[in-house]
Amino acid sequence: MPLTARGRQILGTLPGVVPPTTTDGIGCEIVRHEELCIGCGRCVTVCPTAAIAESSRFDPLELYDAPVGTTRGALGAALRQIARHEPDGPFEVPPRVRTFRTIEFDGGRCLGCGACTRACPVGALTARPVDRFTIGGTAVPADGASSVLA
Amino acid sequence: MPSVPVAAVTAESAVPGDAPVEAAGPADAAERTIIGFFCRECAYAAADATGNARIPLPVTIRSVLVPCTGRVGPLHVLSALAEGADGVFLAGCLEGQCHHREGNLAAFDRVVFVQRLLASVGVEPERVRMFTMSAADSPRFIAAAREIDASISRLPRLRRR
Repeated sequence: MPLTARGRQILGTLPGVVPPTTTDGIGCEIVRHEELCIGCGRCVTVCPTAAIAESSRFDPLELYDAPVGTTRGALGAALRQIARHEPDGPFEVPPRVRTFRTIEFDGGRCLGCGACTRACPVGALTARPVDRFTIGGTAVPADGASSVLA
Repeated sequence: MPSVPVAAVTAESAVPGDAPVEAAGPADAAERTIIGFFCRECAYAAADATGNARIPLPVTIRSVLVPCTGRVGPLHVLSALAEGADGVFLAGCLEGQCHHREGNLAAFDRVVFVQRLLASVGVEPERVRMFTMSAADSPRFIAAAREIDASISRLPRLRRR
């Protein structure tokens, strides 16, 4: 779970504990599988801290790297067949094409709340529980966090 | 006696699409293949009217019926090109008159996307086009079909690896 304002307040009252200014290590760790991403931007719309941003630039090279069995992989295979040279580089995606966006992730702003993992239609984002929190520079095992706060 | 009916039957059974077209462009122009994705509400009706009127269409065009041009994605277009088509065109309803609200507008943008994708790998973007027409506008359909046929005939055949 992400650290709430109330949780931050409680941490601040404890002797010798500096409340973390960033949310690093709080909540789950978001694991990204970029090769599966279709660039639909749904994670962007649900992210509470705007840690994920989308841009309308798209690099065709991503299609070449996409795994076989996915739509992008099939597109890459078809494109490779007719291509006369290597892709020139990113270009602008028209507004009504809702996929093929470039998704940028800013780990420093991530709360680890997992909203993006529930919004992702292709399972390109997964949430993994952390095994230790960092509280005031001290690593605390996740199951021992309650003892620190008690 | 037998020869006359045979000739008559052949002439009668000739579908409009099989009729010879006045040659435009290189000698191998007729070898081109163009895939047309026609929306069921407008363009397919217009194509049907063209057929009923026995107006010859370019022989290069193969039609695919789709419920709405909004169903056609980049993969449909690229697969067609990769598997033998020299050109692809989408024919849908007029702007603002899509029977599925805005499928044709989505298709417009997807066509632009595929054109940019093709341009980035050195393939002529004009191989993929989009046209719009109403269900009753058979002349516009014929014009669109002849225009895409003429422009694809001017291009060399699409090479594949």
